[in-house]
Amino acid sequence: MAISNLIRTFGSLLLSSSPHLSQIPASPRPLYLVSHLSAYREISTSTAVFARDPLWKCRTKYTIKPIPKTKTGGRDHTGRIRVHGIGGGRKQCYRMIDFQRLRYPDPAEPGPFEEKVLLVRYDPCRSGHIALVAGGKRKRWIIATENMVAGDTIKTSGKIERMTVSANDGDAYPVGALPLGTLINNLESHPGKGAQYIRAAGTCGVLLRKVNGTAIIQLPSKRQMQVLETCVATVGRVSNVEHNQRNLGKAGRNRWLGKRPDSGLWQRKGGWAGRKIKPLPEIKNYVNLPVPAVQL
Amino acid sequence: MLAQLPELDTVTYVEKMYPVPWLAKPTFPKWERGWHDPYHYRSPPKEEMPDYKTRPCYEFHRRSRLQEGVKQALWLTKAKLIKGLPPPILNIMNDVAHQLEDQDERIQNAISHACFWAGTEEDISFEKYSPVLLEDLLHLCRSMTVKYPLLSKRMMAQDYRVTATWERESALIQIHITHGKLLNAVNCLQPIASNDEILATENYALETFYPISPIIDLREKNVYKIKNDTGFNKGYPYPYPHTAYTVETGKREKSEHFQARVLMFAFGNALAKAKELYGDEPKVLEKPIVVQSIGTNGQSFQFVVFQLNTTDLDPSNGVKNLAWLDADQLLFEDARKHPEIKRKEVLIPAGIHGYKSDTFKKFLAFYLHGVV
Repeated sequence: MAISNLIRTFGSLLLSSSPHLSQIPASPRPLYLVSHLSAYREISTSTAVFARDPLWKCRTKYTIKPIPKTKTGGRDHTGRIRVHGIGGGRKQCYRMIDFQRLRYPDPAEPGPFEEKVLLVRYDPCRSGHIALVAGGKRKRWIIATENMVAGDTIKTSGKIERMTVSANDGDAYPVGALPLGTLINNLESHPGKGAQYIRAAGTCGVLLRKVNGTAIIQLPSKRQMQVLETCVATVGRVSNVEHNQRNLGKAGRNRWLGKRPDSGLWQRKGGWAGRKIKPLPEIKNYVNLPVPAVQL
Repeated sequence: MLAQLPELDTVTYVEKMYPVPWLAKPTFPKWERGWHDPYHYRSPPKEEMPDYKTRPCYEFHRRSRLQEGVKQALWLTKAKLIKGLPPPILNIMNDVAHQLEDQDERIQNAISHACFWAGTEEDISFEKYSPVLLEDLLHLCRSMTVKYPLLSKRMMAQDYRVTATWERESALIQIHITHGKLLNAVNCLQPIASNDEILATENYALETFYPISPIIDLREKNVYKIKNDTGFNKGYPYPYPHTAYTVETGKREKSEHFQARVLMFAFGNALAKAKELYGDEPKVLEKPIVVQSIGTNGQSFQFVVFQLNTTDLDPSNGVKNLAWLDADQLLFEDARKHPEIKRKEVLIPAGIHGYKSDTFKKFLAFYLHGVV
């Protein structure tokens, strides 16, 4: 240490040594996700800054940054086991997915808009892949469809024209604007609610028929579902089609995913085992049709 | 959370004096300290800050990463790109008289110093050796002072601060540079492109990249000051920015993003100087301002020469600025402390491999530009 100080001192005596005009240095600010939250924390040390934050779920402002998750181990807020068979595994990050596909970049000008796919990648939180798209001055994560690759342009529109549209893979339209028989995914149950159906890897629904301002869709479980025709859906199948074909190879890989082994207890097979023949459940209805007024 | 019914009382754990999950969390009135404690200061909401403005400003700072790279930087600076270096620098570079004695040997010593001897660890990270290498190269450049005494009228500033604000297609944009080295000179650099070449840029159409907006990845903020500041006082004896040096830090990024940043830093220095010299009114400058910029990640170098012809950046027509870019110039291809040995046979010996002498010639030509 003393020698290096001496060398530095001699170095400053050189004719050509760099004269440093040090101005006031900018204080490096650590990025701290909770700083955006209403919850305020008084103690903040350097170790706490980089620790995984248990409040990661409380974030309200949208970000494309991966948020470090904490592991629950199947425990609920009281500390008791709520779900069995969960624990351990690779540390994971959560990426905020924008399920409301029809979110206009500029709310003052609603209209059809286009976005460019920048990246398609794996997501630990779901079976399908996710895509980073940019349009206007906004970036967001969406669920990738089967044929989506980086560099594609995808279109989103909220208008229902008289003619059906010829939609490409990855475009999003209201169900009423699509031709019959279209394969769709990321379906909303109520207009503007955000997609909640058909989001798993490789799944798709089929638009069966359109009745009186509503549309009937066949879900991946073959059950039918009736929604308003203004509900937005994405065209195509969800990506990662080979998800159900993959071979985990060993029991330990399930542990990497955070799943613990089943109980090895032998149990006599009962009525739960074997094929069951029962009628399809009735159609799921998300349409509250107005009741006709009683005429006197 | 369900809405609280007014007729029901909330049972909280305030009487138990310790939290239990089956009782509600009590709410207390906010405690006021009664005196100002700087360690527990909470800033007011941004709407109540004195600098709050309803019109947003888009800021480019030292960590901004432009999605579209150089194309986007050219749109923001309203500049036309010319690949390669301008003729005055090429002339200096190709002249043997403007070179050091034993140049290649001294450069390789500098690389060895940075890559092998800058630290005691096994693998010195690029974050550690690239500032050392830059300082070594600058040290070699400074030794030309004996030959050209005018070089002593230069001053290096570390961690300089520059702020410049401009309008681009009715968006308010600000650049804020806080880190890096800036070489200042007593005299300004002479314009590189002639008047005819400047007027010829009027017909050039800037590239856009629909559906992405050109101001993507700039930080949107409502609390800001509109200011143009070169970071130096009025009477500073070395008033003209000559070359801005940038070292890549943090995670390695795409070369295109780093080139865009180096270009923006040259532009920011030029614009701040132009606004100081010619006022805030947007106009075509009588004498264009030239600023150079060099970026390095310890191995490859980005060379940028920026000529600011106009400060009228709001419309996309009219006279454009000019930017010369020589990207991804490797100084060496590989430098390793230990040889790669397989089956007792040396595959790759230790040392520097693929040394390129042209890169330092360019570096030196940038330094000598304006004196020779």
